[in-house]
Amino acid sequence: MLRKTSTLLFALALFLAACGRATPLPPTATPVPVATATLLPTATATPFTPQHNLTDGCVPEGQYDPAVDYFPEKVTITYAQNLSVEYHGHYKVVTIATPWPGATEPIRYALVQCGTPAPQGFQPEEIIEVPVRTIVTLSTTYLPFLDELGVLDRLVGVDDTTYVSNPKVLKMAEEGKLATLGYGAGINVEKALELQPDLIMVYGSGAPDYDAHPVLLKAGLKVAINAEWMDTSPLGRAEWGKYIALFFNKEAAAGALFAETQRKYTELSRLTADLPEKPSVFANTPYQGTWYMPGGRSYVATFFKDAGANYLWADDTSTASLSLSFEAVFERAKDADFWLNIGFFSTLEDLKAVDPRFAEFAAFQKGNVWNNDAKVTPQGGNDYYETAVAHPELVLADLIKIFHPNLLPDHTLIYYRPVK
Amino acid sequence: MRLWLYLLLLILLLGAFTAGLAFGSVAIPFEQVMHILLGGTPQKASWANILFQFRLPKALTALLVGAALSAAGLQMQTLFRNPLADPFVLGVSSGASVGVALVILGSGAHGGLTFIAGLSLLGSFTLAAAASLGASLVLAAVLLLSRRVQNTLILLISGLMFGYLANAIVSLLIYFSQPERVQAMSLWTAGSFGGVTWTHMPVFASAIGLGLLLSLAMVKPLNALLLGDEYARSLGLNVRRARFWIILSASLLAGASTAFCGPIWFVGVAVPHVTRALFHTADHRALMPAVMLMGSTFALFADLIAQMPGSQRVLPLNVVMSLFGVPVILWIILRQRELRQTFAS
Repeated sequence: MLRKTSTLLFALALFLAACGRATPLPPTATPVPVATATLLPTATATPFTPQHNLTDGCVPEGQYDPAVDYFPEKVTITYAQNLSVEYHGHYKVVTIATPWPGATEPIRYALVQCGTPAPQGFQPEEIIEVPVRTIVTLSTTYLPFLDELGVLDRLVGVDDTTYVSNPKVLKMAEEGKLATLGYGAGINVEKALELQPDLIMVYGSGAPDYDAHPVLLKAGLKVAINAEWMDTSPLGRAEWGKYIALFFNKEAAAGALFAETQRKYTELSRLTADLPEKPSVFANTPYQGTWYMPGGRSYVATFFKDAGANYLWADDTSTASLSLSFEAVFERAKDADFWLNIGFFSTLEDLKAVDPRFAEFAAFQKGNVWNNDAKVTPQGGNDYYETAVAHPELVLADLIKIFHPNLLPDHTLIYYRPVK
Repeated sequence: MRLWLYLLLLILLLGAFTAGLAFGSVAIPFEQVMHILLGGTPQKASWANILFQFRLPKALTALLVGAALSAAGLQMQTLFRNPLADPFVLGVSSGASVGVALVILGSGAHGGLTFIAGLSLLGSFTLAAAASLGASLVLAAVLLLSRRVQNTLILLISGLMFGYLANAIVSLLIYFSQPERVQAMSLWTAGSFGGVTWTHMPVFASAIGLGLLLSLAMVKPLNALLLGDEYARSLGLNVRRARFWIILSASLLAGASTAFCGPIWFVGVAVPHVTRALFHTADHRALMPAVMLMGSTFALFADLIAQMPGSQRVLPLNVVMSLFGVPVILWIILRQRELRQTFAS
């Protein structure tokens, strides 16, 4: 009996699987006539050779030529440790060495110029046609990049609009132009399938039970992992804007944006390089008796160093947070000059009310407590977790202003505020 | 013989308490610890602070929670005549976690921020208050039931059901939450003695103290209940009333511990067994004070290991308890063969 049932179930599963395959595939790249194509002489004379990347549309039908470089504008990656890209005429291969914490294998995607054939040697889920016409983002940190690359109009869905700060995105949401799909493994797959975006950009935590991408891939949707959050340098994180740009063939714009960010960031960090006096700083607040302190090689530590501060855990070599006991933090940071990133607390009173021991810190007594929550929407979305990834130079300017106010007399704080 | 055991336990407890004060992430020489405790001026100003503001409240918390959960565990095991019962068997900690989950996960973004921003009103009692509220709601439901229901087994099953219901609500909240908040929630469940400060101590210690006194007062009814409800009745015990007070004290102990320290597993179920094995008795007049001593000692030692003296890092308390506690307790229990006998079921 049992055997019979299982055979039946197996058959049913097979049937369902077959059905799944039979469902119509997303409409793949119907060639859109490109403006430049019409300017060219007849196809037989010279093949279609773009002067710029095709940021909007495909190679016209029948005009593909394997000898042509369809991506005359390219990016090179210098800061993002985890990212690399190679160009191959009509497609580019982007590789993420460690897509999520503990990943043993890299992830790669073949980004194929639409209107050109798919290259050999890739799994179907690794092939993504570019430029993508519609995108869903599952992290707010991708939004500023889309905005600055000028492709926000291709955004069709997000995880949740509650925590978004970008006014344009909020307006789109208000006008009903954005679907909200939810978080992690609880993501609304049916809605995603109905939406059929060309691309869903997600982050992976390494815990498959909590991640959205396994569910989405199983549903046959095009997914690209973004591992920007694992990068340990602020510039490295900002460089992931180039990764996002690859999917829109917006290399030129992304390259220019990053170059500007990098120029400003380097200029600012040069200001603090030779300072004789570096104030000491520590960060975060404890929770349930454990103080999660940014590791000495984390991006927060890099920010502190570049802003000319002496981070008290700079001698540590880990990139993740350290779980410290309160007393260990107290011993080392009691006399520290600055205390930053205190989380949900909004006033010194709050801090003291929650734990009177906070008031024993010198930074507390001197009123040198600062928090990165100056730009919070009424719904609770903190712009620090949105635009700060794309613009580390603004965060750095804030920090330098805090640690060395004389160096940047004209800068007004953007993300940080003094806690009073 | 038994007197010697008490004395030994007392010495162990004193040793554990002193060790809890003397060792931690920050190395303070032992003579300095003694010197500071006796009112002397420390070599380094921060040491006095570390001792009085960090280690002393933490050690006291461990002491109280260890005693509380062990006493509550003993009461539940006897009440339900079930060796697997623990202080949380009636869903008290699940109720508490619903309260905490509502604060951490449920209150929406803005709601959450203002809720947490409004902490100055309730001070650090927000989480504890929410947890207590959740625990009390479950407790009230169970107590109401205990007055109506004749059969103790039905009470146990109802408690389990409340627990499942509460866990389902927590899972639902987790499912629809942002990863950062889920992490905060999972950290709460790791348990810690370090979150109780002197501000909390009066409330916390009185709640636990009251619960401990109540459980000491219930030793005779507990002894009667060991023989079964029918027999207890024939001895002239008002079973329903006894049950009410036992549940009230056990839930007060479990609820207050969970509210301030997160759910601490293992102590409540293990310590009563070890104590029975060591004392070879089922008499609660002997057992009740003994489980309290033993529970406190165990909690203090577990916290000492979790603090990993000499290193700056800390381990999650619940992990340490099970990792180091299970082998020790298995060894003690396996050495005695008359579990059933001392359990008298």
